[in-house]
Amino acid sequence: MFPGLRKVLGLYRGYRLHLAASQALMIGAVVCTLLVQGLNARLIDQGIQARDIDVVIQTAVVMIAIAAVAGVLFALNAAYAVLFSEHTAHYARDTTFRKIQTLSFGNIDRFRTSALLVRLSSDVENVRTAVLYGVMFLLPAPISIVVAVLLGLVTAPSLAPVMVGVLVVVAVVLAVILGGIQPLYDRRQQRLDAVNNVLQEQLAGVRVVKAFVREDYERQRFARSADGLREASLAPALRLALFMPTINFVIYGGIALLYWFGGRAVIAGTGLAVGDIVAFAGYLTAAVVPMALLAYLLPILSQGEASVARIIEVLDATAEVQDRPDAAPLDAAAMRGRVAFEHVSFGYRGADGRPAAIVLHDIDFVAEPGQTVGFLGATGSGKTSLVSLVPRFYDVVEGRVTIDGTDVREISQEQLRDIVGVALQEAVLFSGDIRGNITLGRPIDDDAMTAAAVAADAAGFVDYLPGQYDGAVARRGYNFSGGQRQRLAIARALAGSPAVVILDDSTSAVDVAAEGRIQSGVQDLMGGATRLYVAQRISAVLTADRIVLLDAGRQVAVGSHADLHRTSALYREIYESQLGPTDVPFQPDSGAPPATPPVAAPATDLPATPVGDVTEPGR
Amino acid sequence: MSAATPVRPTASANEAPSPDAKPRNIGDGTVAAPAPKASPFVATMIRLLRYAAASRARFVISVVLILVDRTIGTFRPLIIGSMAGVLAAGGPQSELERLVLLLGGITLFLWIEGAILERTVARVAQDALYRLRTDLVDRIQGLSLDFYDRQPIGELMSGVTNDSEAVSQFLSNGFSSALSSIVQIVTTLIAMLLLSVELTAVAVAIIPIVVIASSVIERVAGPAFAQLQSKFGETSGFQEEVLSGEKAIIAYNRQDLASDIHAGYSEVVRDVGARAQFTGLLAYPVSQFVGSLQVALLGLVGGILVIEGSLSIAVVVSFFGYSGRLSEPISQLGQILASALKASAGASRIFAIIDEKPSVVEEAGAVDLPTIDGRVVFDHVDFSYVPGRRILHDNSFVAEPGQKIGLVGPTGAGKSTILNVLTRYYDIDSGSISIDGHDVRHIALDSLRLQVGTVLQEPFLFSDTVMSNLRYARDGATDDECIAAAKDANAHDFILGLPQGYETVLTDRGANLSAGQRQMLTIARAMVADPRILILDEATSSVDTRTEKLIQSALAKLQEGRTSFVIAHRLSTIRDSAQILVIDAGRIVERGTHEELLAMDGLYRTLYEGQFRGTRGIESAEAT
Repeated sequence: MFPGLRKVLGLYRGYRLHLAASQALMIGAVVCTLLVQGLNARLIDQGIQARDIDVVIQTAVVMIAIAAVAGVLFALNAAYAVLFSEHTAHYARDTTFRKIQTLSFGNIDRFRTSALLVRLSSDVENVRTAVLYGVMFLLPAPISIVVAVLLGLVTAPSLAPVMVGVLVVVAVVLAVILGGIQPLYDRRQQRLDAVNNVLQEQLAGVRVVKAFVREDYERQRFARSADGLREASLAPALRLALFMPTINFVIYGGIALLYWFGGRAVIAGTGLAVGDIVAFAGYLTAAVVPMALLAYLLPILSQGEASVARIIEVLDATAEVQDRPDAAPLDAAAMRGRVAFEHVSFGYRGADGRPAAIVLHDIDFVAEPGQTVGFLGATGSGKTSLVSLVPRFYDVVEGRVTIDGTDVREISQEQLRDIVGVALQEAVLFSGDIRGNITLGRPIDDDAMTAAAVAADAAGFVDYLPGQYDGAVARRGYNFSGGQRQRLAIARALAGSPAVVILDDSTSAVDVAAEGRIQSGVQDLMGGATRLYVAQRISAVLTADRIVLLDAGRQVAVGSHADLHRTSALYREIYESQLGPTDVPFQPDSGAPPATPPVAAPATDLPATPVGDVTEPGR
Repeated sequence: MSAATPVRPTASANEAPSPDAKPRNIGDGTVAAPAPKASPFVATMIRLLRYAAASRARFVISVVLILVDRTIGTFRPLIIGSMAGVLAAGGPQSELERLVLLLGGITLFLWIEGAILERTVARVAQDALYRLRTDLVDRIQGLSLDFYDRQPIGELMSGVTNDSEAVSQFLSNGFSSALSSIVQIVTTLIAMLLLSVELTAVAVAIIPIVVIASSVIERVAGPAFAQLQSKFGETSGFQEEVLSGEKAIIAYNRQDLASDIHAGYSEVVRDVGARAQFTGLLAYPVSQFVGSLQVALLGLVGGILVIEGSLSIAVVVSFFGYSGRLSEPISQLGQILASALKASAGASRIFAIIDEKPSVVEEAGAVDLPTIDGRVVFDHVDFSYVPGRRILHDNSFVAEPGQKIGLVGPTGAGKSTILNVLTRYYDIDSGSISIDGHDVRHIALDSLRLQVGTVLQEPFLFSDTVMSNLRYARDGATDDECIAAAKDANAHDFILGLPQGYETVLTDRGANLSAGQRQMLTIARAMVADPRILILDEATSSVDTRTEKLIQSALAKLQEGRTSFVIAHRLSTIRDSAQILVIDAGRIVERGTHEELLAMDGLYRTLYEGQFRGTRGIESAEAT
């Protein structure tokens, strides 16, 4: 039983001594407790029966002393069991966290953050509880039982059949009542989840419920689900309800038999004394209790077992992106950053970890050092997927992505991510300060950090913060606006002076003027780097050297704004839907970046009533 | 449709205590309830007990059986002591056999009785939980939207789940354990006093040790567990922060740094946890020691008394049994109290929700709204979500039947609010809203909402089949009607492409559909409802150009012949409105057709041009 938990017991090698010590102490404590029972017999027979007050006093004092020793041993056992379980939990938490840190984007997508958090918190906690109670009560149980049985046999060998009979009956009772109860618990858990799902859905969809006046329907739906839970909860409860009455029945039935058989022997004077019978009854109870405890341990243990399985699932995961063992170290400083996609196809993996549908087909282009390349297309056209292949967040399915001619799969991930700086689509800030958020603990000096902040148009608002770069950042950056978070994320990408800069729709929450400042700032600071910009807004890529236009995962056109406006109908459609129809296509300044955002230009000669809005169908 | 939305309609209304009712005696009066001045803890416990007492017969049976069980059980140590006494006296055997048979008989009786008792208690507990859960949801469904505004759904959900778990544990075990512990203490004390006052004094003298020890342990363990809880929270917080930003961590190679910081947090949890758990577990050795100490002291004092001749050995052996029977429930009462406190905290939060009153209440004698044409009149409407913080100021407008009304304005201007008060999700402060001349305050809520259809910004679907999701809009809609609506909403084709067509179960509220497909389904659902007035809160999630066209044409079909209000995030979709209302800071600052508004050269024109410059000027998600 419980293979996972047994594995966990061996997990933490550094504390095997704790485990052994805890077991030894527990057995000592159990033996002491049983000795008190044995002394009880002496007190009755040689003290009270023999009318010897000295023996009575002596025995009572020894009993108290031994009881005190037993108490201390129990306490020490608890201390070791606690230490062992806490260290095991820490080990599991630490190992799992470290394992998660080795995973790739694809693994994280599939596990989901919330599920990983559950494993790190409540699953580890379940394991800890199971280990603690298992170590304290389950592991010493067999020895406790054996010691109690042996003491009983030494006291009154003739009563052995009663002892054995009671233990066999208890074992049968355990098997009958507890065997097969696990599926009942599982079913209860499923129904509980179902009830919670219904409630969650009702709360999340409250506006829909009210809009369609379905309150009564939802009440009935919940009541049905709650009734299912009641029924499923009752099944194991009704079964378990038989347990304690039955155990009591067996113990007291055993005691009755004890007095029936043993009592006759005492009266017949065959060597048994009253105290022996009383002590034997004590041993009998002491042998049954560890078995009865199983009823209470079982749910804790099976919960722990299920949690172990979930933790092991994470520990057994293999990172989707792996460094080649022979990945040769590169001179990162000498990288120029020429990015080439050579007939690249790519698809994410499905929930089962196997390759799913292809989302990028035959992507093929080159971004030269010093160039800006924009990626444009509708949501879901594959822009983010495409740029994720450069820092090797995912691996291509076909073709290859190279930097300065080297396949990114030949470069270690650590080096690759120094070469490529990415501002992710979701600008994540961490609690701490601004400095920490820009440097992320990398060895970046203040000048480089400030220069990056200036280029990302973040220096302005950072200077106004109390403490400037030491200004506090709340969890997930809640004390900053979306635009400010994006600017800090861009600064973070620039601060490492990468040869390739990727901004993945990183200016969606800033206004057009700031977008222009950021673009020219990046150009100034990172003029020699290759810059890849993903954009929803066409304004963000108008000035790019080349624009890669994506539609449904295919690269439908590549060229400058002027080229595409001339040659691509889809490009014109996007352009007009966003910026309105114009007769004269916007001409980017081919020289130095303009000081004012050039994208404001089309708005100035906006016709009062534009015609033919392409997003409006059928009119 | 019944007009009784805010009133709890189920049968349990008779049994569920109303919040301001005075506690009264339960069932046959076995539990006397103190007067209203009772502390919140006692009041909550009584209210919880009444949920259990609602299964009257079973509840009475449980109470009677607990009394029987603990009373009869008291005889067992007495019989065992007497048997030892017979043995000590060397016979007679017939007396021994009589006692053994008596013990056997009692044991057999207690077995059957105990099984019935435990099973009855389990049923009472599960019935009470069922009643509590359904009462809670009955009430939640009847509450107005302001309740949801005040409580984030995530918090509400985890509150309800955790609270009902704490209550569940207590209902299953707590009440019966508390009663049987008390009965056991009383019956045991009576038996002990009848047998020997001196030995009773010895047994009772030890009780303070137990009480003092457990209160000392509690005083140390309590704060230790509180500290553990907070360290645990810090660690979870760190884990959450890192894992939600994991992609940034990977992108910048910061995995090792994160792991090392995490190890620090984890070690603190380990060390604080070890202290807390250890102090918590100390109660166990203490009770073990006290048990043995009791036996030794009873043997000592009892032995001396027996040797002196003032006591029989049978009484001493009986007391070995009674001492355990006395100290066990006493040490258990501490745990029961702890679980009662936890349950009371949980239950009081649940009761607080059950006691909530909907803020929008139907007028007594409200009449059903007849089938309407859809003429909507706002007359000097003022509104605030929170008293004193006015959101809508003096809003007046008229929407004629079949007209399309566009609402535009910056985020937080009050666009969604106007539509929230139209459907009477909230009551206005002053002014009036009428539909075809009926003031919305005088008509039955359900009849109003049934004639107003809504397509929300975030398409919400249930984890059920496509067909059930469509039929959700109108009780009794036929399959054919639903399919016709899906065709009108351009959803039919993709639905047929799903694995089981209309019978495909949507997982995770439609996660197996694309954003555009979800939108089309919600449009189809609104078509099934066939409302007279339509509210469209335009979706913000962008979809590809082709899907966008399908959605727009579906929406156009949905609006045909209906008075419709459209909250636009792209001005292109409302340019053809009969009237556009420009909302800023809760006031209608401009109104007119698209052309008229552009000519005005005001806020509308600014928004319009801002959009063309690419800024997302007329943002979406109005915080409601």
